[in-house]
Amino acid sequence: MEPDLPMRESDRSPSLTELLERCAGNDRRAFAELYAATSAKLYGTVLRILKNERWSEEVLQEAYIKVWQKADSFDAGKASPITWLVTLARNTAIDQLRREPTAANDGDEVIDLLPGHFPDGEQKLAQSREQEQLLHCLKQLEDGRADLVRLAYLDGLSRIELAERFEQPVNTIKTWLHRALKQLKGCMS
Amino acid sequence: MSDHDDLDMLAAEFVLGTLEPEAREEVKRRRVQEPELDQLIQAWENRLAPLGNEIDEIKPGPNLFSRIEQRLDELESAQDRPGETGAAGDQLTALKLRLRRWQWSTALASAASVLLCILLLNKPTPELAPQSFVAVFQHDDQQPAFMLSVDLQSRSLSITPVTAEAIPGRSYQLWIKADPLGPKPRSVGVLNANMEIDGASLTQYDPALLKQATFGISLEPEGGSPTGQPTGPAIHGFLYPANPAQLSL
Repeated sequence: MEPDLPMRESDRSPSLTELLERCAGNDRRAFAELYAATSAKLYGTVLRILKNERWSEEVLQEAYIKVWQKADSFDAGKASPITWLVTLARNTAIDQLRREPTAANDGDEVIDLLPGHFPDGEQKLAQSREQEQLLHCLKQLEDGRADLVRLAYLDGLSRIELAERFEQPVNTIKTWLHRALKQLKGCMS
Repeated sequence: MSDHDDLDMLAAEFVLGTLEPEAREEVKRRRVQEPELDQLIQAWENRLAPLGNEIDEIKPGPNLFSRIEQRLDELESAQDRPGETGAAGDQLTALKLRLRRWQWSTALASAASVLLCILLLNKPTPELAPQSFVAVFQHDDQQPAFMLSVDLQSRSLSITPVTAEAIPGRSYQLWIKADPLGPKPRSVGVLNANMEIDGASLTQYDPALLKQATFGISLEPEGGSPTGQPTGPAIHGFLYPANPAQLSL
């Protein structure tokens, strides 16, 4: 394998951090590089949540405007650059989705990305310690609860949508979520 | 459960994305003032972040980056001008998002679809900005159907059909929607058989309101909507800069 391929987050983190720092200094070339290096990841994130290509591009545009504007608030001591970027894109997408919860179902452009199919995550993952730990802890949860977490985090399902999917009252879903989250936290600490 | 546990679950569900919209907005406000909440949120972001590795990378459309750059140019040119704070850019973003929202919600209401358009405000540089807006309506997202222009100073408007054609027994109707007018669109007027509209139809509206308003056109029974609300079929509208040169000043 070519050593310079940015296969693992640990390999590319320094350069993304540097690019973000240069963005904070108004360096548009750095911004272009940052976009080239991260847009497929961020678009994948947004599209998975919104499931509509045109809408996702709108939201991705908004997210990158925020990246440019907020680059100076990125703190490498608090989060990895890719986590910071994905978080920003996810939040933008979820905000939009919560404002227009049914918009993604709008007719012809809906892409076929049905939630709920989770090929074993490990195969394509950088096997960082955090990754292994989270996967291990997800497996410790009761049946179905890891899917609950994934459907919320990756697919942007709301409590109500989770309730419909799992055929449970919304309050039960809330209880399940809280229990799962606490178990995860306990397991990972 | 302790208060800290409650706060931690609030942070966790905020990160997970499962809070109700109102609660989500409240958390966004609170975290700015509550360092503890902010730290809990960041801890959850880091804790769950490895899930992001399960997301497939998908390349966005090839033109997206140039659109982002163009948008940044607009924002920065607004900031560069003394006395301006990028308000026009922010307003443009707000208008675009409002169009989006209306468009998405309208598209869902398949029975009550509306031909949408939006007014594009030229930036308010006093000596450069004629107070004119231009909007382009697109039919089936392919061809421009109408162009609409409004002069804010005189509050006069005109509509130019591009590919849209008069349909016997039907009328196009222009609507205005703005927060101060309530949640429902209000009729501006019905286009006549020559596809014209009374140029003075907007004089009753304050220019400030017009700047904030969203406009739509629907295809209605002859003479206009019988219900007082848009009832006709959908054609979606998209924003285009009225004068790109001016926008990038």
